[in-house]
Amino acid sequence: MGWDRVRLFKRTKSSTIVLTGLTGSGKTVLFYQLRDGSSHQGTVTSMEPNEGTFILHSESSKKGKIKPVHLVDVPGHSRLRPKLDEFLPQAAGIVFVVDALEFLPNLRGVSEYLYDILTKASVVKRKVPVLICCNKADKVTAHSKEFIRKQLEKEIDKLRVSRSGISEADVANEFTLGIPGEAFSFSHCSNKVTIAESSGLTGEISQVEQFIREHVRP
Amino acid sequence: MLEQLLIFTRGGLILWTCKELGNALKGSPIDTLIRSCLLEERSGAASYNYDAPGAAYTLKWTFHNDLGLVFVAVYQRILHLLYVDELLAMAKREFSEIYDPKRMNYNDFDETFRQLRKEAEARAEELKKSKHVGKPVNDGKKQGQVKKGGFEVGNKKKSEANDGGDGDTGKSYKLENGHSNGNHVNIEGSRAVVANSKENASSNVGAFDVSKLQKLRSKGEKKTDTVVNKGSKVHPKKKITKKNRVWDDSPQESKLDFTDPLEENVNENIEVVGTDHGESMMDKEEIISSDSEDESEEVGKESKPDTKKKGWFSSMFQSIAGKANLEKSDLEPALKALKDRLMTKNVAEEIAEKLCESVAASLEGKKQASFTRISSTVQAAMEEALVRILTPRRSIDILRDVHAAKEQRKPYVVVFVGVNGVGKSTNLAKVAYWLLQHEISVMMAACDTFRSGAVEQLRTHARRLQIPIFEKGYEKDPAIVAKEAIQEAACNGSDVVLVDTAGRMQDNEPLMRALSKLVYLNNPDLVLFVGEALVGNDAVDQLSKFNQKLADLSTSPNPRLIDGILLTKFDTIDDKVGAALSMVYISGAPVMFVGCGQSYTDLKKLNVKSIVKTLLK
Repeated sequence: MGWDRVRLFKRTKSSTIVLTGLTGSGKTVLFYQLRDGSSHQGTVTSMEPNEGTFILHSESSKKGKIKPVHLVDVPGHSRLRPKLDEFLPQAAGIVFVVDALEFLPNLRGVSEYLYDILTKASVVKRKVPVLICCNKADKVTAHSKEFIRKQLEKEIDKLRVSRSGISEADVANEFTLGIPGEAFSFSHCSNKVTIAESSGLTGEISQVEQFIREHVRP
Repeated sequence: MLEQLLIFTRGGLILWTCKELGNALKGSPIDTLIRSCLLEERSGAASYNYDAPGAAYTLKWTFHNDLGLVFVAVYQRILHLLYVDELLAMAKREFSEIYDPKRMNYNDFDETFRQLRKEAEARAEELKKSKHVGKPVNDGKKQGQVKKGGFEVGNKKKSEANDGGDGDTGKSYKLENGHSNGNHVNIEGSRAVVANSKENASSNVGAFDVSKLQKLRSKGEKKTDTVVNKGSKVHPKKKITKKNRVWDDSPQESKLDFTDPLEENVNENIEVVGTDHGESMMDKEEIISSDSEDESEEVGKESKPDTKKKGWFSSMFQSIAGKANLEKSDLEPALKALKDRLMTKNVAEEIAEKLCESVAASLEGKKQASFTRISSTVQAAMEEALVRILTPRRSIDILRDVHAAKEQRKPYVVVFVGVNGVGKSTNLAKVAYWLLQHEISVMMAACDTFRSGAVEQLRTHARRLQIPIFEKGYEKDPAIVAKEAIQEAACNGSDVVLVDTAGRMQDNEPLMRALSKLVYLNNPDLVLFVGEALVGNDAVDQLSKFNQKLADLSTSPNPRLIDGILLTKFDTIDDKVGAALSMVYISGAPVMFVGCGQSYTDLKKLNVKSIVKTLLK
């Protein structure tokens, strides 16, 4: 349903970037900022993924041949989580959007979702790089990315313990994270996990664009 | 006056809002609508009520499935605007003509919309003047249908019957606890019935039962310990103790209470070996067999006879070219077949109906993809809807919650509620076993102080599992027993307290009140509704009434409702797994455990994919 579904043939070298995160973190706003440079008249909770293949708005003025990026914004609502599995196998990179403003109340949900993604087979086996994007950084009371990183590492450490025996009904945590016996840190992941700040509303998305450019071969 | 009308894509981008109606909406009604209604597969409903501090809105919507657009109108609930549905339909028509996927700005629609609104308002005025202001046709009088008490917590107090209404028909609408169609509940008394086929068709009008009416009226007036209802048990009142029935002139029997006093336990010779039956099935991976997809052929045969009218050639051509827009009439035969199939799998009739409506709403007007039959489109949409409903809305990782409570040095309290004979005590023991395997210390609380043998039953389990049990014998107030149990657990350092309650029918007012008191007094971390998989249409009634009573009879502003479902006797039903779907749909609570046998290890997690496959097979 969205527009611009230009997926005519399977790509051997994937150039898909998946935008995901909890509901309300700002993914759809980021999607439209990346595409059009503006979030237009605002957004509501997404019921379906937004997909598009385009040249990033900030690069549209550059000269020369630039390869378009295939960007997918997967809804964060928990009922729609299974949609993520449709897009992960072709992902060249994942942007995990975190609401830096309402971070602490949602800490558990965020870390559980992030843990699920980091332990999925399609992510681990293909070593898909993940960018944790602390969105809404323009607000005064938004947390810093260092704080967020530490909190997430602590929470995921706890999750490792409680999830070690169980598998979820649909999504099995197929891999475990980190080194047993040591406190978890994102540097233990086999895929590269980095953290950045952004603001969808004001258009401060340079770090996200950099990540995208790094992992989508021009 | 409309508060606002929005047009947005299914992907979440707002395309147009009416700038004339510039009122900022209080709270976040649109997001709540999407999360609680549209994503919950209730899009077949006629309207949605949203309450925020300072505002009470009603929302109506319509979809344009082909373009992937949603049109939502918000207005104040007390103004029963009659023209909203029409306005939405007209707006949809006009907007789809100017819609272009590449366009983000639709300011020219302002003018079109202003005209549409004037027209609609004018037409509504005409309609109101020409209609008689009299008693409307009571189109909602369906006996025995249940309201959605589960997801409408806000508008409860209407059930206190309004004496002084004018006539029974007035009362019937006011008594609706669940869904209130903004047009029906009417304070002033003008009863213009909206000639709107969509509303009449939806089966969400509640039961209207004169006996219930009288019961509610009396409930409003006096404390109703004396109201006798259908409950088959005679619940012993606190003031009057049970007297032994004297059959003849034989001398009085000695006391009949055989509960052993606690001190005697120590000297028993029964073996106290702890049970270890191996790994609980909760921790085992489930192997999903992948059947070949041969069901599609069966479905094809079913729907083919219905579409014969259209002509074989044209329908084949359309299915290949894929140009036809799906109309409701096209979807009906396939949906009917699906609904029947769901009902043969023991899904409650009302739920199957609502699901089919929701799927129809999401497919109407959509362009059929090439090389697909209508039946397969419908099947795919239904499958997606089912997966969406059964996927838990929040994390059901109990171990994580227990650890969190442990950190705060509080015991994690789980209360098991349900009707009689569903397997609460048995499954409580299974859950205790599972928790023990994960090195969590458990304590049982015997708050079933009514049924003979309940305390002994739990005591036996506690002995076999070697865990402490808190009991006070029979005929004590369960709420107090639970409170003391939790305090005891905090003292002796138990991580989890599992509270067993007596089974009770959902209609039994005094018992439900006692349950509500237990929940309110102790504020448990998890209220687990135990339901058996064999239940049919009654599941809907049970769950909605339990939720309703928990909400009504609680005295706190944020009543606790059912947080999770434990489905029992799953091994007895073969493939008739529909009860799971009915329960989840009506209450919104996830299925946290599935009991599939009578030994300690027979406890599983719900496998959503296999249930959906079984339902649609």
